[in-house]
Amino acid sequence: MASQSQDESTSIQDIFDAALNLEDTHYKSGYDEGFSDGLLTGKDEARYVGLKSGFETGEELGFYRGCIDVWNSAIKIDPLCFSTRVQKSIKQMDELVSKYPFNDPENELATDVVEGLRLKFKAVCATLNVKLEYDGYPKSSDVGF
Amino acid sequence: MASVSEDNLELQEIQKLEGHTDRVWGLAWNPTSGADGVPAVLASCSGDKTVKIWQKSPSTSSFHLKATIEETHTRTVRSCSWSPSGKLLATASFDATTAIWEQVGDDFECLATLEGHENEVKSVSWNASGSLLATCSRDKSIWIWEALPGNEFDCVSVLQGHTQDVKMVLWHPSEDILFSCSYDNTIKVWAEDGDSDDWHCVQTLKEANNGHSSTVWSISFNATGDKMVTSSDDLSIKVWGADIVRVQSGEGYAPWKHLCTLSGYHDRTVFSVHWSREGIISSGAADDAIRLFVENQDDLGDGPMYRLLSKKEKAHEQDVNCVQWGSKESGLLASSSDDCSVKIWKLGPRH
Repeated sequence: MASQSQDESTSIQDIFDAALNLEDTHYKSGYDEGFSDGLLTGKDEARYVGLKSGFETGEELGFYRGCIDVWNSAIKIDPLCFSTRVQKSIKQMDELVSKYPFNDPENELATDVVEGLRLKFKAVCATLNVKLEYDGYPKSSDVGF
Repeated sequence: MASVSEDNLELQEIQKLEGHTDRVWGLAWNPTSGADGVPAVLASCSGDKTVKIWQKSPSTSSFHLKATIEETHTRTVRSCSWSPSGKLLATASFDATTAIWEQVGDDFECLATLEGHENEVKSVSWNASGSLLATCSRDKSIWIWEALPGNEFDCVSVLQGHTQDVKMVLWHPSEDILFSCSYDNTIKVWAEDGDSDDWHCVQTLKEANNGHSSTVWSISFNATGDKMVTSSDDLSIKVWGADIVRVQSGEGYAPWKHLCTLSGYHDRTVFSVHWSREGIISSGAADDAIRLFVENQDDLGDGPMYRLLSKKEKAHEQDVNCVQWGSKESGLLASSSDDCSVKIWKLGPRH
């Protein structure tokens, strides 16, 4: 008696197992499909964001590098053209740009370097009384075809 | 209880100075005036884009308009500050510039215009020696400038740390330590690393350190510079203390610690606080009143450290934006308001 009732309950369980497994199987295949799709679009998006912010950072650093090179050339021609304070700031900016971890984007130093450069640049411009400004990423209206 | 002669003191209105056509923001007494035969000189700046210079006439003892600085700033002049020598006046404006003026005869000549802030400059302050100038702005940054011979001003450093509009900057009365307060509810302390032009935030006084829970509007020091008072939109005034002797003897930085909070006295924003040489703290608030506080002398240790000495209700018809004690003459107070006027007060026995 006892064993028969056990058999019955097992067979009933089997019927439901099939239904339960069906759900599991669908869940699993759906998950796999979503995962691989997500991986692809995620990579695409990351590539796009990486290109965009990499370009922006590169452009900004390049702008400062350009300013520093021009100022350094001016100092080479006339060592007294800027005050000691300004020359020191230019040197510090130079060191900051060189220090930027180009191949290690997750390095926290990256934001510190850019912040430091921005502040130093403002101070140099104010003292030299020049109005130089990094315009940032070109606006869509600036891009012509 | 209240029988000390001090408790019979009140502010008496001496004069109402009219002339500004918009709200009056900052006030500054010329630090070298008001004694030794030099008549007291007060500068006031306003939303009408001008700065007015008021001088006490020796014969009548009343103040009259001596000069108006105009047509340079294109927007509100928010703050003004005399150099310690009393020779230069710095004015900070919403037009993003700070101008430096020198009195030539009866006129004021603009010696330099400091440009750099991205937008509204909110406050300007000279250090004790007059060699450094600090400015702060809605752009969240603080700039330190050095005054060089030939009226040249070099930018020494641009400081970033506050996360919101910086309302006021003030140098310590004897040390080259800078204090700033902001819409981000904090007070920051800035000091130079050695002699390197590198300025850093050395301390932040925030809500978690018994600090303010809303915008901090103003800062003032007592005569010895070992105590600081701050006022806020959180309706309180806070007193802070530091072992300034340690700093003065070159032993290093002494952190500022919360000493006490004066709450329950104001029910609107406290825009301005100023500590007199005699130790009286004055406050100007959005409830149009001026209050005076003094240290509790008969305190046994567990009571409040400061108490209300006197309250002038309806000191102005609108918000009181600034209160400033005279630099030399004892008990002389100036106040400015949204009602376009400046008032001169004298602390004297109640009639």
